[in-house]
Amino acid sequence: MTAAARRHRRKARSRAARRLAQRRQRESLAALTAGALALPGLAGPAGAEGVSDRIGADYNFSRYSEHKLPSSKVAVGSERGRYDIDMHQFRFAMPIADRFDVGLDVVHETMSGASPWYVIPGDDGKPVQVMTGATIDDKRTDLLLEGKYYMDRAQASASGGVSFEKDYFAINGGLGGQLELNEKNTTLSSGLGVSIDSIDPVDTAEYPLRPDHEKKQTYSAFLGLSQVLRRNAAMQSTLTYQLGHGYLSDPYKQALVVGEPLADSRPDLRHQLAWLSRYRHHFSSMNASFHADYQFYWDDWNITAHTFELAWYQNLFEAFRLIPSVRYYSQGKADFYAAYYDQARADGLYSSDYRLSPYGAISWRIKAETRFTTWQLDWLASFSWERYLSSGSYAMQKVSTPNPGLVNFDLFSVGLTTRF
Amino acid sequence: MLRLAASLLLALPVLAASGCASVKPWERDVLARSDMAWEPDPLEAKRNTHIHYSKEASLPGGGAGGGGCGCN
Amino acid sequence: MSGRRFGSRRGAAALVLAIGLFVGGAAPAADVGQTAPEFKALALDGGKSISLAAYRGKVVYLDFWASWCPPCLTSLPLLEKLRKEFPSDQFQILAVNVDQDTDKARKFLERTRVGYPSATDPKGRIPETYGIETMPTSFLIDRNGVIRYVHHGFRKGDVGPLRERIKELVAARKK
Repeated sequence: MTAAARRHRRKARSRAARRLAQRRQRESLAALTAGALALPGLAGPAGAEGVSDRIGADYNFSRYSEHKLPSSKVAVGSERGRYDIDMHQFRFAMPIADRFDVGLDVVHETMSGASPWYVIPGDDGKPVQVMTGATIDDKRTDLLLEGKYYMDRAQASASGGVSFEKDYFAINGGLGGQLELNEKNTTLSSGLGVSIDSIDPVDTAEYPLRPDHEKKQTYSAFLGLSQVLRRNAAMQSTLTYQLGHGYLSDPYKQALVVGEPLADSRPDLRHQLAWLSRYRHHFSSMNASFHADYQFYWDDWNITAHTFELAWYQNLFEAFRLIPSVRYYSQGKADFYAAYYDQARADGLYSSDYRLSPYGAISWRIKAETRFTTWQLDWLASFSWERYLSSGSYAMQKVSTPNPGLVNFDLFSVGLTTRF
Repeated sequence: MLRLAASLLLALPVLAASGCASVKPWERDVLARSDMAWEPDPLEAKRNTHIHYSKEASLPGGGAGGGGCGCN
Repeated sequence: MSGRRFGSRRGAAALVLAIGLFVGGAAPAADVGQTAPEFKALALDGGKSISLAAYRGKVVYLDFWASWCPPCLTSLPLLEKLRKEFPSDQFQILAVNVDQDTDKARKFLERTRVGYPSATDPKGRIPETYGIETMPTSFLIDRNGVIRYVHHGFRKGDVGPLRERIKELVAARKK
């Protein structure tokens, strides 16, 4: 192909991209997410210790804002601004009868903004992101009901939930159990979960590449071991397996294959494994606690990932707590991923989604908490701010061509909890 | 092979427990602290899990209990 | 399958036994039918020292609690109410607080007043003697100083059955 022809092709692609990007499209968080409810159906209303026989209500508001993409990473004519999500979380938990408690979790989100659509080669050969047009606002609502039964040295739990959005509906269920051994120094935990999702993408008449109606099932199981090490130290290790079956692609994304945009096509089966280990240590001389978490992840799409999280819980003046924390994440790429494709694949699998690309992410958060007693109730108020930055250069391995759609975001959060 | 794996998994609590000091039920004051919990803020944990699950390839891996005051 | 040593029945039995030991725990030092071990300790509020022997002749509810134990805190006001249902020359409650930081225990008692004494045992010698397996644990001791009932944990619904047992022991005369 001559240089002139190549230039002509690039210009044609940019024009097409601009035309498509100008159309208003409605997106859903579900389309951007791998699953409406993370780790569907795993039960446990009150975290590690559900012993409290008090009624509890928790509320949190969070604002998630993605940073604008740098112009060097965005196709001409595409929106640079990204996604904003306002999230309300509410939890209510109460004991029912002596050995039973229930909890209800409600999440309501409002989303707006543009998201990555597909990737094209830019003028200098580096890939650039074509964005969808901005949505006005989409909503998602999640409900989860959990129940826990307490025996002398064991616990059993069950949960069920639904999640719905305009183009997404999911129902999930889970069972869990816990056994205390060795004078409650050792705890064995286990659980099973299932989620059945149905996806009905919008505007399929306008976008013929979009599927009309798809289904997905996710099955998960975990096994965990917790060990008290000393009076002021404990550790935990959990192995989780998840199986995804059905439509696992993103209906709103495309991949450029030999100059033509094709629908995002991923395998219809995915085996995933995560091994999470946690350590907690209290320094009484400093009136502070230290948290360290590490997770190793593997799946059969060839992605491996590492997550490291460190947090320091500094107690101050009886009623305050300051919690700085840092997180490092690194992942490899799915074997069928590419920013764009110069030749068709025999297996027909294509995805330019940055979430399947190799990259690393560093985030840091600062959180402040204060507790007080008013109107005969115990309260906890918290404020936190987090910044998350991702880049090819942050990955553990060398990344030659990072995906232009890698996300950076800020998360601001306020919460209020009461126990009565 | 399966039997070997199962036996190893069952032996883990025995192995783990044997090497560590046993903390008595009345010595769980520090472990009962909220800043020693696996997830001191459950809503935050769920939120982070959801965001990371949506924005990254990986899985949220939690779920295990244990630790804490060991009461009742 | 023949000739495979690992996974033999003996191996499995050994594992089950080992797990059983951990699940079951060691035998408690103060069980039903045994005489409640005597102890002497300082009172939490700084008053005179407390001794179990001083209560011989009365029915005693010996309760182990701590400020960091939520069910313990729930039980205190409920036990106080229960205590008032019986004449004090027949039935007494004696608590042993195991907080290492005794200030926390005192602060709690300032907010939730009870009319029965708490001994303080930050080193945990008394719960060790009694072989406590969980927090809270309480012992119902008859007029002769014999343990008649061991109660693990505390739930609101425990008060009813407890009341019945106390009535029985109060009705029985000292031997």
